[in-house]
Amino acid sequence: MKQHILFVILLTAYTAAFSQNCAIGLSGHVTDSDTRQKLVNATVSLVETGKTIITNEEGDFVFSDLCAGNYTLKITHVNCDTLLRKIVLSKQLHIDVSLPHAVNTLGEVTVTSLKGIQNTGIKKELSGKELEETRGLSLAEALSKMNGVALLQTGATISKPVIHGLHSNRILTINNGVRQEGQQWGNEHAPEVDPFIADNLVVIKGVDELRYGSDAIGGVILVNPKPLRHQPGYYGELNTAYFTNNGEYVFSGMFEQQLKKQPAFSYRLQGTFKQGGNVSTPGYRLNNTGIKEQNFSLTTGWNKKNYNIEAFYSQFRTTVGIFSGSHIGNLTDLRTAIDASQPADIFLGDKTYSIKRPNQDVIHRLFKVKSSFYSGGSKFNVLLAAQYNHRKEYDVQRSSSSNKSAQLNLSILTLSEDVSWDHPKVNNLQGTVAVSSMQQDNSYSGRYFIPNYFATIYGGYWIEKWAKHRWELQGGIRYDFKNIATKRLLFNGAPINNDFNYSTLASSFNTLYKINDDFRVNAGITLANRAPYVNELLSDGIHHGTATYESGDINLKTERSVNIAASLNYSNKAKTFFADITIYNNSINNFIYQQPKPDSPVLTIAGAFPLLKYQQTNALLRGTDITLSYYFFQHLELTSKVSILRAYNRSIDDWLILMPSDRLSNELAYKFKDKGKLTGSYMSAEVATVFKQTRVPSDKYGKQDYKAPPAGYTLLNLNASTTINFSKLPVTFSLGARNILNKRYREYLNSFRYFTDEMGRNISIRVKVPFEKLLH
Amino acid sequence: MQNKFKTLLAVAAFSLVIASCKKNKEEVNANEVITTVQLQLTPVGGGTMLTYKWEDLDGAGGSSPVIDIITLAPGKTYNTEIVIFDKTKNPTVVTSDEVRKEAIDHRFYFEPAAGSNITVSGLDNDPNGIPLGLKSVWTTGAASTGSIKITLRHYENGGKALADLINSTKSSTDAETMFSTKIQ
Repeated sequence: MKQHILFVILLTAYTAAFSQNCAIGLSGHVTDSDTRQKLVNATVSLVETGKTIITNEEGDFVFSDLCAGNYTLKITHVNCDTLLRKIVLSKQLHIDVSLPHAVNTLGEVTVTSLKGIQNTGIKKELSGKELEETRGLSLAEALSKMNGVALLQTGATISKPVIHGLHSNRILTINNGVRQEGQQWGNEHAPEVDPFIADNLVVIKGVDELRYGSDAIGGVILVNPKPLRHQPGYYGELNTAYFTNNGEYVFSGMFEQQLKKQPAFSYRLQGTFKQGGNVSTPGYRLNNTGIKEQNFSLTTGWNKKNYNIEAFYSQFRTTVGIFSGSHIGNLTDLRTAIDASQPADIFLGDKTYSIKRPNQDVIHRLFKVKSSFYSGGSKFNVLLAAQYNHRKEYDVQRSSSSNKSAQLNLSILTLSEDVSWDHPKVNNLQGTVAVSSMQQDNSYSGRYFIPNYFATIYGGYWIEKWAKHRWELQGGIRYDFKNIATKRLLFNGAPINNDFNYSTLASSFNTLYKINDDFRVNAGITLANRAPYVNELLSDGIHHGTATYESGDINLKTERSVNIAASLNYSNKAKTFFADITIYNNSINNFIYQQPKPDSPVLTIAGAFPLLKYQQTNALLRGTDITLSYYFFQHLELTSKVSILRAYNRSIDDWLILMPSDRLSNELAYKFKDKGKLTGSYMSAEVATVFKQTRVPSDKYGKQDYKAPPAGYTLLNLNASTTINFSKLPVTFSLGARNILNKRYREYLNSFRYFTDEMGRNISIRVKVPFEKLLH
Repeated sequence: MQNKFKTLLAVAAFSLVIASCKKNKEEVNANEVITTVQLQLTPVGGGTMLTYKWEDLDGAGGSSPVIDIITLAPGKTYNTEIVIFDKTKNPTVVTSDEVRKEAIDHRFYFEPAAGSNITVSGLDNDPNGIPLGLKSVWTTGAASTGSIKITLRHYENGGKALADLINSTKSSTDAETMFSTKIQ
C-alpha cells in the first residue's frame, strides 16, 4: 500500500507543473550527400512524438507546434542510409540535412530502405529512456535491465552479465566493433567497458554472432557508440549522477564536432569519472567496498565519398575494493563466516571512499582503426585493433611487509585484424565474406593462477541475408583455428610448456516470417564451438574469495552448443498491446564446469581447501523470456517480464550449479503530457521478484555447496524523469530508487551471499545537460 | 593514396606495440607464503633443543608437505619457540619476525587432542598484554600418542582481544598445522 500512496503523491506533484505554450516550428531541407540533389519523398520522423512527414518536391519538411526539448530526428530514403540525429529544440529551428548514399542500393530500385538487414535471431536492445535509467551503473548492471539477462556478482561492486544462464568466456562483448579481450575468465572479473561510450546496448544471438567468433555459445553483447557527427557544428552532453547508498558520484562528458572548413573530418571526446564509497546493506555498512573509475575515449573520423576511416582509442581504469570480511584463510574460516548471521563488527561501519587491501586495479586500453572502401557496389572493410589489459590483485598482507606490489599480476596484449567484403546486392541477397586473425600474449607475475601463453587464431566467415516480401532468410558459417602455447615458469624448477590446437566451426540459420505488419515469427538454429580457455586447462591454485582450490584439466575438449530458438513479436492494430516471446533450447556437449570434489581436499599450510576440478558434461539449458506491455490508455503502460530457465546436467541427471532462478517483473509507467517547459516526463514503479533457486545439484556425489540458496525476494524500484527547458538548455532531471523499501535479501548468483546481505535502499539523482550548435 | 598512408601508419603503430611487449618473468609465489612452521623445544633443566617442522616447500598443491612427528619425553617441561619461514624467497624470509613486529594483530592457538598428554601454557604476550604464542611452555604427562594443532590467526583489521576464540570472525587463518605427537 505504501508504494501506491507514494506513487499518487509524486503523480500529483508532477501534474502541478508550470506551463508554457508549445508552438515551436522545426523546418529542414534534405539533400543527397553525394549528388547534392534535393531528396523528394524522404520520410522524416520525430521519434519521441511519433510525428512523421514526407519531404515535398523541394526536399523540405516542416513540423509545427512542438514543445522545447530533446528530439531524435530519423530520416529515411529508399536510396540512402537511415540517418538518426539528436536535436535540441529551444526556439524556431531550420536544419539542412544531407543523407549519405547507401552503397548497396546504388542505381537500383529496391523495396527495403534499411541499411543492411538486421540480425533476425534473438535481439534485445537497451537504448533511449531505458539506457538513461542505467547511467552511472556498470555495464553488466545496465544489461540486466533486459529480460533474460541476470547478474553474476562478487559483492555489490563486481558484476558480470549472465545471458540465458551463460557468462564469462561464453559471451562475447563487442566494444565499438572490437571483440573485448580482457581477463574475462574469472567470476570476479567484470567487463572492462565504460557504458557511457554506448548509445545503445544490444544482445544478439543468431547469424551476426559469426562476425565475432565461433565461440559465442551464450550470445554477443554489442556496445555501440552512436555514429560520428555528419553535420557541421558541435554537440555535447554532460551527465552527472549521485547515489545515496554509497555516496557514489559520476561525471561523464562528451563533445563532438564536425568542422565546416573540413567537412570530411569529425571527432568525439568522451570521459567518465566515478567514485563510490562503502556500500550499505539495510543493517550495516561493509568496509572496503568502494569503487573508483576513470575512463576516456577519443574517436576521429575521415569521411569521403569512396572511403572512410575511423580511429578510436579508449582507456578504462577501475579500482575496486573487496569486502575485507570475505577474505578467507581456509575452509574452517569460511564455515565460521557462513554460520555467522552477519560479518564481525571489525569489518563494518566505515563511511569512507578509501580503498584498502584486498582490492583489484584494472586497466584496459583499446586502439582501433577501421577503414571502409566503396567500389562498384562493393564495400571493403579493414579493422585493426590492439588491446592491452592489465589486472592487479592486491591481497591482505602484514603491514610491516616490505613488498607493496600486487600479489597477482596479469597482463594480456591482443592484436586483431579483420578484412571483410560486403558484396553488391544481388537478387535481394546481401552478404559478407571475411577473414580474421588474432594474436594474444598473456603474462603473469606473482601468484600463479594461469600460465603465460601466446595464442593465435586464424578464421573466416561467410554470411548471407535474403529478404523478400514477408520473408527474411539468413545463414552463415565460420571456421577458426586456434593455437595456444603455454609456458609456466616455475620458481626453482624447469618451465612447464604445453601446446594446444583447436579447430572450431560455427554456423547459423535463421528464418523470419511476417504474418502481417503487426505479427512476426522467427526461428533459428545456431551451432557454436568453444575451445577451452587457459584457466580451464591449467589453473591451479587457491581462490581466496571462495576458499577453494581450483584445478584445470589439460585434456578438456571443445564445447559444442546447438541452440534452437524461436521468437514471436505481436502488437494489436490499436498499438495498445505488445508481446515479445522467446523460447530457446541450448544443448551443450562437453560443457565445462567446476565439480566440487569434497572427498579430496587440498592440504596446505593454511589448512584444508576443498578442491574444484574442471570437468565436462552434457548440459541442456532451456527457457523462455516473455515481455508483455499493455496501454490502459495513452499515458499509462504496464510492462510485465518473465524469465524462466531450466539448466540440466544430463550426464548425471541433475541440475547445474549457479544458474539464475526464475524472475518476474511488473512495471507501471505513467507518461505525462508535455506541458510548459516540461517535456518527456514520466514516472514508473517496478515490482521485481526473484524466486528462490530450488534447482541446484543434489548431494548424491558429495556436498556441492556450502550453503543452501537464499530465499526469494521482491524489490520495489521507482524511476521518474523530466526535461526542463531553460531558455536554450533542455536539462533532464531523473530520480531513481532501487530497493526503496530497504529490504534485506541475498541473491543466489552473488558469491557474497555466504557473508553479507545485498545493498539496501539506493536513491539516485541524475542530471543531463545537452548542448548543440549547428553551422549552415 | 591518403588512406593507404593511414593504413600504413596503423600497421606501424601495431608493430610498435608488439615490439614494446615485455618479456615473461619467472613465477614468484604469493608474497607472505608460509612454507615452514618450525617448533624449537628446549627441555627445562638441560638437554638438547628438539626441532620439528611442518614444511610444504612448493606451496599449495604440487608435492605433499613434510610433517615431522613430535617426539617428547614424559613428565618434562619444554620452553617452546615457533619460527616461521618463507623458503620460496631468496634469501629465506623469517616470517615470524614480521609476526613479532605485528604482535598485536597475530595470535597462536594450541589445541592438543584429548589423550595427547601435552599441556601448553605460558604464552608470551603482545604489547597490549594479550597472548601472542610465539613462545610457550609445554608440559608432558605419561607416555602416549596423539596430535596437536597449531593455528596462527591474523587480525588484518586489528581488534584482537583477550576473549577472542580461535574461530573469531575478526581474524583469518595464516597457518594451520597439525602434528602427530608421541610421548615416550
